[in-house]
Amino acid sequence: MIRVLAATVAAMCGVAHACGNPGDKLANGAHYTIAFKTAPAPIKTSEHFAIDLTVCPLGKAPMPRTVRVDASMPEHRHGMNYKPTIVAKGPGRYRAEGMLFHMSGRWEIAFEVVTGGTTERIATAVELQ
Amino acid sequence: MRICILVSCLVPALAFAQPAPVAFGDVEVARIAALGPWPPPRAIDPSNRVSGNSDAIKLGEQLFDDRSLSKSGGIACTTCHRPAHAFTDASERAQGLARGDRNTPSVFDLAGLRWFGWDGAQDNLWAQSLRPMLDSREMGADVAHVASRVRNDPALRSTYRKVFGRAPTGDDEAVAVNVAKAIAAYLETLTSPRSAFDDFRDALVRGDKEAMARYPLLAQRGLAIFVGTGRCTTCHSGPRLSSGEFHDVGISYFTEAGRVDPGRFGGIKKLRNSPYNLLGKYNDDAKRRTTVSTRHVVMDHRNYGEFKVPSLRGVSETAPYMHNGSLATLRDVVRHYSNFDVERQHADGERILMPLGLDKYDVEALVAFLETL
Repeated sequence: MIRVLAATVAAMCGVAHACGNPGDKLANGAHYTIAFKTAPAPIKTSEHFAIDLTVCPLGKAPMPRTVRVDASMPEHRHGMNYKPTIVAKGPGRYRAEGMLFHMSGRWEIAFEVVTGGTTERIATAVELQ
Repeated sequence: MRICILVSCLVPALAFAQPAPVAFGDVEVARIAALGPWPPPRAIDPSNRVSGNSDAIKLGEQLFDDRSLSKSGGIACTTCHRPAHAFTDASERAQGLARGDRNTPSVFDLAGLRWFGWDGAQDNLWAQSLRPMLDSREMGADVAHVASRVRNDPALRSTYRKVFGRAPTGDDEAVAVNVAKAIAAYLETLTSPRSAFDDFRDALVRGDKEAMARYPLLAQRGLAIFVGTGRCTTCHSGPRLSSGEFHDVGISYFTEAGRVDPGRFGGIKKLRNSPYNLLGKYNDDAKRRTTVSTRHVVMDHRNYGEFKVPSLRGVSETAPYMHNGSLATLRDVVRHYSNFDVERQHADGERILMPLGLDKYDVEALVAFLETL
């Protein structure tokens, strides 16, 4: 049992090292993994930040055509007051600029990976103290 | 039986007179620490080339109190922003050449803000300083009038030349913007006074129980509600006790029969149409790093009736309250949030506020806390 668990953890760590840079956070979807970090880190309430992200296709998934990034507070029923701009930084690499979380609490960052015919939405939660 | 009734009457009375000491947990301590340190951060404004310039600050202070900048010659910035009254006017709504729709906010701690005005229609302090001069209900001037004032007054003309490196040119708008930049340089220097809360906050952070004990227990109880069950720090966050953003808090946005104040919705429209926003030619920041908020802000239907979260520093000095001055006292404000009617918010808007349902004691505790800011 312990061996199986260790193998699973090792596989997850393998994904972590294979996508993005060491220290990046991961958000996993069905066909893509997003490795990302914020600048600055950690995020400060009511201050602008950017997200540097790498999109890693899983299996035979194609490289993305572009990505979209947004965020919301589902419990408060509102999003950000700002719409980030996406800057392509290289194959599968992007920077989302102009993000701002204007209050503390649980935010959900949503990445949308856009390919030729499909869009995959991958969400991850961030708790802002 | 009679003794029991007597005791049951005495217990609430004693509790009111001597509240129990408040034990703040780690989460509460972190939230309280985040409300400081005092003073709020302040930095040179790259969009204003005379920000921090001592001569500009002196010129700005003089112009802030100059009635001749108004069309009538009778209204100065200090007419509404009275220095002796925490830079407010004690009126529900501002009264310049005509009665305005909104309450006069204090001008403490403006340096470094992202948005200015109840609707955030300005993204920089010099544009915010220029706006009242050109507003027909406030000072009623135009850029030609403002420029002529510094162009034709020998002393002002001389100081202007010293600050900006050349005498006022024939470009009225450029001169008026410079006048506003001098006023902004002065406003950046106005910092709210250090408060009893700041003393408590600092003592709490360094674990100084003796200093903490000097903070009234009722205010401590109010602070516990503020950072705890009241969740007030959700919006009133950071050293200014404001997120600097906008919310619908259930205050009517009808200014009079048949007329509404669109709040942030109208503010974003004005921002985008303003020649004085940071995307325009008057921004002195060559690298345009100051433009992030303006480039990314979005306008949404829910912004209708949203108004800026005000700073709470010195709040006991700035009655009446809310964007339209409709609540006379801090007690009224606390009761508003205690009995908040969620049905008064946009049906498709955010859901942050819930009625706090405070009892009389907790209302007094919150008021006591606010009075220490």
